[in-house]
Amino acid sequence: MFKQLGISVAIAGLLMGVAQTSHAARWDGADDLPVSPLACGDEEGGAMAAAMPYDGGMAMNPPDKAGEEITLVDVPKLIGIGYFAATTEGMRQAAEELGNVKVKTDGPTEANIDDQITFLDNFITQGVDGLLFAANDPVAIAPVLRTALKKGVHVVGYDANSEPDAREWFVNQAEFNGIAKSMVDSIVAEIGEDGKFAIVTSTFTTPNQARWIAEMQAYQEKCFPNAEWLETVEAQEDNILSFNQANTLINKYGEDLQGLLGMTSVATPASAEAVTQAGLCGEVAVVGLATPNAMKPYVASDCVKSVVLWNPVDLGYAAVHVMRAVVDGKFAPGATEVSAGRLGTLSVVNGSEVLLGAPYVFNKDNINDFDF
Amino acid sequence: MNTAASTAVSPAQQRGVLKRILRLFASQEAVLLLALVALFVIVGSINSRFIAERNLYSIFLGNAYIAVAAIGMSMVIISGNIDISVGSLIGVLATISGSMAVAGYPLVLCWLVPVLAGVLISSFTGYIVAYLKIPSIVVSLGMLSILKGGLIAVTSGEWITDLPEGYALAQLKPLGVPLPIIFMIVLTILAALWMRFSNTGRAIYAVGGNAEAARLSGISKQRTIMKVFAIHGGFIGIAAVLFATQLSVIQSTVPPNLELTIITASVVGGVSILGGTGTVVGSTLAAILLAAIGSSLIFVSVSPYWLRSVQGVLILLTVLADLYRRKRQRKQGSG
Repeated sequence: MFKQLGISVAIAGLLMGVAQTSHAARWDGADDLPVSPLACGDEEGGAMAAAMPYDGGMAMNPPDKAGEEITLVDVPKLIGIGYFAATTEGMRQAAEELGNVKVKTDGPTEANIDDQITFLDNFITQGVDGLLFAANDPVAIAPVLRTALKKGVHVVGYDANSEPDAREWFVNQAEFNGIAKSMVDSIVAEIGEDGKFAIVTSTFTTPNQARWIAEMQAYQEKCFPNAEWLETVEAQEDNILSFNQANTLINKYGEDLQGLLGMTSVATPASAEAVTQAGLCGEVAVVGLATPNAMKPYVASDCVKSVVLWNPVDLGYAAVHVMRAVVDGKFAPGATEVSAGRLGTLSVVNGSEVLLGAPYVFNKDNINDFDF
Repeated sequence: MNTAASTAVSPAQQRGVLKRILRLFASQEAVLLLALVALFVIVGSINSRFIAERNLYSIFLGNAYIAVAAIGMSMVIISGNIDISVGSLIGVLATISGSMAVAGYPLVLCWLVPVLAGVLISSFTGYIVAYLKIPSIVVSLGMLSILKGGLIAVTSGEWITDLPEGYALAQLKPLGVPLPIIFMIVLTILAALWMRFSNTGRAIYAVGGNAEAARLSGISKQRTIMKVFAIHGGFIGIAAVLFATQLSVIQSTVPPNLELTIITASVVGGVSILGGTGTVVGSTLAAILLAAIGSSLIFVSVSPYWLRSVQGVLILLTVLADLYRRKRQRKQGSG
């Protein structure tokens, strides 16, 4: 008795009542932080955040090695995976190009902050000129980095930041508004300025995805007001759930759906898979944030044309150039840009961060150059 | 609901009608089936694309592996135990299957070895539960950590790609019906018959319902629990292969909350969390119902946050109904 009453009331109530009352406004990031969309298309500039004063740390009385050979150690989150193999390769390229830098990479085989601290400790004791790091934990790594600064060792981070005062500079691979612009530009290139698209994300509460989506909405409304954003669905970090959610969107909107945006490296390949299995390649475009390896099959089959991320080779390359400029005294607190070899001039953002530049778009021509 | 329609009839008649309706729909399976039909009718009338063939296929296809895993889980719960390591085990077995495929082993082995490995690993869990008499929640909690941690340590979270052609078992469509759906239906029917008619099947209910009575009637509790876990492992293995072959890449990490989804399917399917009652038909229907609810929320543009709430409501209702049923049985027994 309880049961059938209860279950029917629950389902009928939740589906009909809620459907009527809350014809849910499209979810749009909703984290109430200000957005700063970049300029449309290829134009420069756009809303730049107000310049912040330098908030990084300082190496105490480092030996003056301007122009001399320096020895650097790179301690990434972990070694043995393609992503950090790519940053290591970028560092090697920069060192070779500069000629007066020696850099070696060593670190934990698991992304473990305690192991990473041990590695850093040992290298500080051994004595090096500079430390490069990608932090497993921004807070826990800070004390050991501060020790390095106190001993006159230069410290530059990349990929994953520490507390700002525990290092000098941080090479930031991508800002939220940059990723957002890249994503929207890539999908509009495929579905047109009045196309209709939907988004598959991890959860509505994941901070990075929420920021990206909020920035994407701001950029789309500013630059492509006629494009129609149909819906955003959650899919956790779950392969099959992402596949199911993408399928549901395809089934719900039918021919009205022209593009799917995947916000995670799980959601993007799963969306591509759903489009592939539905036989809709070419009719429903898929663009998203993802690592190249997971996307290779779909890029090879021409079902996916653009995968947005950053180039980890460039990231490692830039980190070494930044370090060299710091040692040479060419890049001091208050500077607004730094020159980084083949990448040209990189600008300073958020006080003490160096922005790598626009995100990297992987496509059929370049995706096989990467293995991560 | 019934009061409005029956104001004209006497209270006695009303009770009679109610009783008859009750008897008709007393089983959890009938309730679930009814709920499923109601859901399709209601949401289908709001958005007819919901009941289009391709969406029905999506709902069944993408969740068949959960239904298959829930069959084994139901047996374990009916026997008075629980296994919270299933999500991790599915992750491990899927990774084994994919790694073998990439390494070039014959496809048949890539599909069979995970099933055998599932039986072995789960039997190990069963052995500790049955013979060393450690509560299954503790043992499977340990297994969860071992499997999850081990998997990340071995794969470092890297995905398995470049799977060979022909490996995608779950993408096959013999006679136009996706294979996972066939697996789900056939395995549910076979398991239901086995639970109902075989000696071991009935022993599972006996051990979970009243272990002392089962012992007195000559059923070995230890051996039954061992068997349950071994069979459960087989179902997990099949679920893992379906999971692994659904897409062209394997995630090789453990899908978040998968064990909860599977246990929810069993419990909402009417399997008493205290053991002794429930059927695998119920758990399969519940797995489909939960998937259909998830899909319907998107179709009627309701925040998917409600999915979790709906799941929670269903669990509580089912547990309350179970409690009510037990109370009534006890009353009938004593009176």
